Amino acid sequence: MKRLLILLGKIIVKILNLLGRNAGNLPGIILWHLSGQKCCSMFKVDCPIIAVTGTNGKTSVTNCIAQLFEKSGKNIIINREGNNLDTGICSLLLRHCDMSGRVKADYLILETDESHVPVVYSQMKLETLVVLNFFRDQLDRNGEMETLIQKINGFCKTFDGNLILNGDDPNTARLGCANPKNKNVKYFHAEPYKFATEKIFEASEGRFCPFCSEPLEYDYYQYSHIGKFICKNCKFGDYKPYITASNIDLEKPVFTANGHKYSPKLNSIYNIYNMTAVAGVAKLYNIKPKITDSVISKYTVNNGRMETFMLGDRKATLNLAKNPVGANMTLRVMNEMNGDKELLFVLNDNVADGLDVSWIWDINFSIFERVTRVVTSGTRAYDIAVRIKCSGYDPEKITVCPDLDDAVNELARTEGRKFVIANYTAVQPTRQALKRYSENGGNDDE
Amino acid sequence: MSKIKILHMYADMLDLYGDSGNMEILKYRCGKRGIECIIDKYSIGDDMPYFPEYDLIYIGGGADLEQQHISADLLKCRQGIKKAYKSGTFLFLICGGYQLMGKYYRDADGNEIKGLGLFDYFTVAPSSRKKRCIGNIVIQTEITGKPVKVVGFENHGGQTQGVKNPLGSVLYGNGNCSKSEHEGYFEKNVIATYLHGPMLAKNPEISDYMISYCINRKSVKPIKLTKLNDKLEKDCRQVMIERLLNK
Repeated sequence: MKRLLILLGKIIVKILNLLGRNAGNLPGIILWHLSGQKCCSMFKVDCPIIAVTGTNGKTSVTNCIAQLFEKSGKNIIINREGNNLDTGICSLLLRHCDMSGRVKADYLILETDESHVPVVYSQMKLETLVVLNFFRDQLDRNGEMETLIQKINGFCKTFDGNLILNGDDPNTARLGCANPKNKNVKYFHAEPYKFATEKIFEASEGRFCPFCSEPLEYDYYQYSHIGKFICKNCKFGDYKPYITASNIDLEKPVFTANGHKYSPKLNSIYNIYNMTAVAGVAKLYNIKPKITDSVISKYTVNNGRMETFMLGDRKATLNLAKNPVGANMTLRVMNEMNGDKELLFVLNDNVADGLDVSWIWDINFSIFERVTRVVTSGTRAYDIAVRIKCSGYDPEKITVCPDLDDAVNELARTEGRKFVIANYTAVQPTRQALKRYSENGGNDDE
Repeated sequence: MSKIKILHMYADMLDLYGDSGNMEILKYRCGKRGIECIIDKYSIGDDMPYFPEYDLIYIGGGADLEQQHISADLLKCRQGIKKAYKSGTFLFLICGGYQLMGKYYRDADGNEIKGLGLFDYFTVAPSSRKKRCIGNIVIQTEITGKPVKVVGFENHGGQTQGVKNPLGSVLYGNGNCSKSEHEGYFEKNVIATYLHGPMLAKNPEISDYMISYCINRKSVKPIKLTKLNDKLEKDCRQVMIERLLNK
């Protein structure tokens, strides 16, 4: 039966390829139905699997870990396009397995959706799980945050492989207590950076100890609820870090971890956390320091995460923000930059974004400095306009252009530095619209 | 100058779906009219406030866990809140706040959280956490004397039953129970609802109903609110109404 399903799956992949279609998810969906919802159970994977999960940063960290092994000469399989549900992982393995379902590689490195960790790894043996953070994100799709954490916690109760956890996020650190017998729990941690605060700056999760319900106490907050916390009552949070990022200087940017000084390309505190997780995996798998250094120092992204476009002679920086934490970080970066600037905010409410856009009210727009004009776009262009207006921003300076090309034209109409924030499904269309403008100079509508 | 005093309860815990935005909006709309709007906060561990001194008490929504945390503390406030409500303080209650003013809330595991019992309704969450009422919602309410379509977003497991006087009728979405006809609970000084979004974002009439109530409750001569330019808010609502109702 398994062989038959694999044969069928491979035929579907072939057909889709012949039709010029992307076989990223559909074959898995079909097999999911035919296999009694266990579409990852038909593969024989002999090599170690490393999975990365969490709300923000999965794609970056998964790609960096893959590079650690690739540069060490290993043969790896990775879901680079971010098809991270069970059906996406099934589709990936279908393309890489032989007719008996055997997957040949040295390592499988899989970005995995938070809610699918128990689903996928009850069907395939996992060696290492990296958990980056849990933030409010797409709550309406996943149900409440606590339900999500409970799901992964349930998986961790019987998991005895390597668990690499963000020790500064109480939501992820608590997973380290799920299985007291697991000796392979490892925490990564970061010392305070220049903009760390004593008080919480943005709306957040997890103010209470999940074990004894006492309020958690923080030495410092790095961003959102990420920081050095402890429960004074039951000592939750009192652990010895496996790896620590110290001497963090985002202006250069540099940080030190495991005795090495790293110079990453991206200058945000959450990139430092991501890269510390990468350095933690490198330490665990004895990757050569030279290789780790080159991965961390070269890693950058061209997918709407601080990507730059030229609109004529005007520089525009695009950043993805799929939740308040990401958006607040971008606003901070924007504010820390001198001079006047204009903002385009593109907000969609497609299924993958989460249909609920109320998260925009957790963005702290009152910190706007020298923002001379705002253009809004996307399927929820008006919602973000109202939100910015009610933060006290002059509504006369807000222009709503639901159509993206109109919005980019409107943004480029005036001089000056531009910032663009787009949420999940808005990023690619926004990149395309910015590119179209760069290439045609905005003359295509004349 | 007119003045409104608001008590925002458990702002640090019951703020799951941008509900604090409602406070930002009320403050904004008061500010535009020269009405002073003072927002005090109360949470676990703070000194017990004198509730009747407030014109409006606001409680937002939270996850089950947060709701369990605050419920014991909220019960301690029962007498104070009841006294305030009886003396005319406006109660503005979203989701969890709505549920906890009823008789009880029974969660998905069968645990019963005692409510304040100010109102007769009660809420039961289905045993499957997957069965939630999630999505955009449009209701029609007549609390302002004219029919107004109110657009928001609902996300609740709890099914609220025994509501005597709902806030509105459901035109799109679920309401108090899955696929129910009615949404929320209403009295002249109570708006209790499942609507997030936050609720006031694109429904300026509801904000103004509450502001008007608050500044008029102690005044002898009726005070009329100055009109604001709500074009963005109304356009925003219209886009959603067209999308949801005119399919």
